[in-house]
Amino acid sequence: MRETIEETAHARTLALDVPGWPGHRAGQHLDVRLTAEDGYQAERSYSIASAPELDAVELTVELVDDGEVSPYLIEEVIPGDVIEVRGPVGGHFTWSVDDGRVLLIGGGSGLVPLMAMLRHRAARASTVEARLLASARSEPDALYRREIETLRPQEGLAVDWTYTRATPAGWKGFARRVDAEMLAAVGPGPSAGARVFVCGPTPFVESVSDLLVDAGYDPASIHAERFGPTGG
Amino acid sequence: MPPVSRGFLGRRRDAADAARLPPGQYLVEDFPVLTAGPTPHSPLDEWSLTIHGAVDEPKSWTWEEFRALETETFTVDIHCVTKWSKLGTTWTGVPLDALLEEIGTEADYLTAWSDGGYTTNLAVEDVSDGRAWIVHTFEGEPLEVEHGGPARLLVPALYLWKSAKWVRGLSFTEEDEPGFWEAAGYHNHGDPWREQRYWSD
Amino acid sequence: MTDDCLDGNGMAGLLAEATGAELTSAIRHCQSCGNEYAIGNHRAYRGAGVVLRCPGCAALAATIVERDDELLIAWHGVLRVPRPAAA
Repeated sequence: MRETIEETAHARTLALDVPGWPGHRAGQHLDVRLTAEDGYQAERSYSIASAPELDAVELTVELVDDGEVSPYLIEEVIPGDVIEVRGPVGGHFTWSVDDGRVLLIGGGSGLVPLMAMLRHRAARASTVEARLLASARSEPDALYRREIETLRPQEGLAVDWTYTRATPAGWKGFARRVDAEMLAAVGPGPSAGARVFVCGPTPFVESVSDLLVDAGYDPASIHAERFGPTGG
Repeated sequence: MPPVSRGFLGRRRDAADAARLPPGQYLVEDFPVLTAGPTPHSPLDEWSLTIHGAVDEPKSWTWEEFRALETETFTVDIHCVTKWSKLGTTWTGVPLDALLEEIGTEADYLTAWSDGGYTTNLAVEDVSDGRAWIVHTFEGEPLEVEHGGPARLLVPALYLWKSAKWVRGLSFTEEDEPGFWEAAGYHNHGDPWREQRYWSD
Repeated sequence: MTDDCLDGNGMAGLLAEATGAELTSAIRHCQSCGNEYAIGNHRAYRGAGVVLRCPGCAALAATIVERDDELLIAWHGVLRVPRPAAA
């Protein structure tokens, strides 16, 4: 464990130095296994938040109430601790700038793997078209808010937030759950041939995927990743 | 042995309860939800419980008929093969003995089957003489759907995968036929005190 | 939604350990509905062991039982795994 970064009141980023790290692709996971002194073990899979180009491996972990692993990673772990990991794993939910234009739709901590993709785009200074629609309950719950505002290159990048519970004063953006009208406004539309990545809680992903298919997006272009209540 | 995660307590044994924990089990206070598939939401007016197969007389109960049967309230410890145990859980339901009396069978085995297609196999001797119930109430409240409501089988002496959630029928068989997990690698019998977790344990 | 449902992406590590291959981008032809979906897009459940189901029809795609010393894996349907030369 190299360092920890508070993201919101409920989420923390852990930066890890992983000896022999083979490199990863944006969107891949890392499995974390904890072992108690009496031998009890608990394992969870987390999306990698950092760009492949960064030298540390970063995870952003959201606190799950009554969870088993996330409270430990958020409240207990300190720099210097050793954590057992397996990875990188996964290949379906991955993107690189060489794959062409992309539409990213994230709900809550579903933003984490999408952030890895945007950081990767920034690290490669790519101007490939990337649109992000990020849904959060409120501005204080929004992950990476300030970093996303300053992401470069701006050319080709479009970012929209929607706040489903509370909006900041004077907010003129979206303030509702993702719907067909919002997807149409965000674009790029089904004929653009973009790869689409949807990540969030299971109901969010199901709903957005259905809306995309109804709007004419090719189901084969939609890559979905669901977060469920896993006991955290 | 992998490195111990400093400060990770996991699920610690309480010494006072240790004698009640089968080997390899950990105590939980919450009630973990595990499922092999989507949670079914069948309306009660379409619910029935059917006993069929190698029986003298197949029989079916509607929800109303089932709820009119005499019940028992009892307190038991439950043990999941994923290593959590929960002590002192109180349930209300119909003893399987009462249902067996009504149908009459010489069969030695049965398969419990559920909404959604889950199955598990049991020896009749493991579910008779006060060893099994079909429960509809947990801690005085209607059994929640994530824990198997409206009704689940409960066989507390065996690992909990044998206690089929959302149970809808018992099919009696002459031969022992492995169920969903028994066919996939879990032990055919599943006695937690003998730590019968997997094939050939 | 109270389903303890994730998807095949979250099982990537287990699948890689089980098969030595990156399987989440492999396509599975469902034995029940005949549709084809990436393994990463399958529904995943944790019961006694891990269960993967078809996202189209919920038919059983795989079970994985994790013993200390081995994994017990049952597959259903047909997996289409790209060969390196074709990728």
